[in-house]
Amino acid sequence: MTSLLRRAAYRTLMFVAALALVVVIWEVYKAFGPVDGGKLFGARVLPRTSDYAMPHVADMFSRFNRPEVRGSDRTVFSAVLAGAWFSFRLSVVGFVIGGTLGIALAVLMARFRWVQRGVLPYLVVSQTVPLIALAPLVVSWGGKVEIGPFVWPRWLSAAVLGAFLAFFPIAVGTLRGLAAASASSVELMQSYAASWTKTLFKLRFPTAVPYMTPAFRLGASASVIGVVVAEISTGLKGGIGRLIIEYAREATGDPAKVYTAIFGAAALGLTMAGVVIAADVFVMRNRPKENIL
Amino acid sequence: MSAVSIRNVSKAFNEGKSNQVDALREVSLDVEPGEFISLIGPSGCGKSTLLRLIANLLEPTAGEVAVNGKSATQARLDQDYGMAFQQAGLFDWRTVRKNIELPLELKGWDKSARRARAEEMLQLVQLPEFADHYPWQLSGGMQQRIAIARALAAHPPLLLMDEPFGALDEMTREYMQGELLRICAATGTTVVFVTHSIPEAVYLSNRVVVMSPRPGRITKIVEVSLGVERTEETRNQTPFFEAITAVRGGLRGMHAAHVGLGNDDR
Repeated sequence: MTSLLRRAAYRTLMFVAALALVVVIWEVYKAFGPVDGGKLFGARVLPRTSDYAMPHVADMFSRFNRPEVRGSDRTVFSAVLAGAWFSFRLSVVGFVIGGTLGIALAVLMARFRWVQRGVLPYLVVSQTVPLIALAPLVVSWGGKVEIGPFVWPRWLSAAVLGAFLAFFPIAVGTLRGLAAASASSVELMQSYAASWTKTLFKLRFPTAVPYMTPAFRLGASASVIGVVVAEISTGLKGGIGRLIIEYAREATGDPAKVYTAIFGAAALGLTMAGVVIAADVFVMRNRPKENIL
Repeated sequence: MSAVSIRNVSKAFNEGKSNQVDALREVSLDVEPGEFISLIGPSGCGKSTLLRLIANLLEPTAGEVAVNGKSATQARLDQDYGMAFQQAGLFDWRTVRKNIELPLELKGWDKSARRARAEEMLQLVQLPEFADHYPWQLSGGMQQRIAIARALAAHPPLLLMDEPFGALDEMTREYMQGELLRICAATGTTVVFVTHSIPEAVYLSNRVVVMSPRPGRITKIVEVSLGVERTEETRNQTPFFEAITAVRGGLRGMHAAHVGLGNDDR
């Protein structure tokens, strides 16, 4: 346990150090880089160092404390926090939908070879469809859904797009895990005359856990990306994606502002990953160390 | 009634195709209740296949396998046998106790009965203090003892073992052989034991079944008359060496046939 804590402390330290390094590089370049940027064959390869193109890191953070718009008593911080919280909830919904779908697909593919042969190629193809092209489609389909008292809310489209990105790594990782049970364990379950379902729950799922946890990590960050991109491309109000767009429009007058929203999005992704990693550590607590992938 | 009865059993893989393999041809064998039988032979002689036919993990191409007077399928459904493999194959995510309880869980036993039986089995394999450990915290020999406890948890009359001590070092291996004999004597279990090791087969068995490959068949059955009580002393006594010589002779005859020195029956 102490070694675990020490490792966690070490990782946190490295994370902070890496962050500090980025800040230092940013500020050093801003101080000593060419004012008009670097040009190569007429194309600008290095950014300008003006306050408009590269605001000071300190300005970005101090912007958090000032009002969102002049005269408002709402700070940028609370606006970004509210936006991130909104998007976080959508990401969680997307992650849950995507996870459920991914696991269900993996089980079906593991059970029936023909499902695997028929479906797996389409899953791969599905991930090559650009999300931006898909987003308006999902919104318009959602708009037509009305089952009894259930009316498709606009935010659900963004969550569904998060799920669309999240399900793929989860389905593939779970499928690999379900197939990872050793031949002799499968024979053992057969010797107990255990049904396929019993074998699934007593052997295959527990064997799959070390394969599923990294897949869930990927799925969680994919869900965040899906939600943020969907917010941007469908113009859904309330989330961090929309804030990035709005603040970016003010970049000429208030260049530091858009960075606050970008930090918010990063914090959102980190929170999501943190939650999944904590769950991961919990389920893997009694496993042999070399099993942790 | 025989514990295991094998009648004219053949097993072919990829039957009817160009790559057909005759794993077993026309094998017959009876195992008496309480008997300890070893199957020995070079790789590809079908000894593991024969074990899996008894376990009903494979179906024979021809012939009949009966366990405990029932068809092999019925015997498997009734969990009339326990099985142990070379890799102990304990579940990493379950404690030792929970591993032993697995077959009982699948049989639908209630919690208190499972717990009591697991306790009993832990006593039997002399590892009661490790109930709440995880398998990966134990040595290879301990893991194998837990695997035996799991195989015997439902008190099956028959124990099928596929090179269970193959991955252990020589010292642990001899200790485990003694332990296995003690456990089988205490429970009256019939054992069919697959091994590569001649001394192991002789030390453990009432009869050693020598098999040869291509196609897999029984070439010789060596009766071992070492008595019921076998101790470390047994390994130094003349009957032990005589039996070893007999088994080795059976295996060597087959080797001669292979290189074309003996009666080539192909």
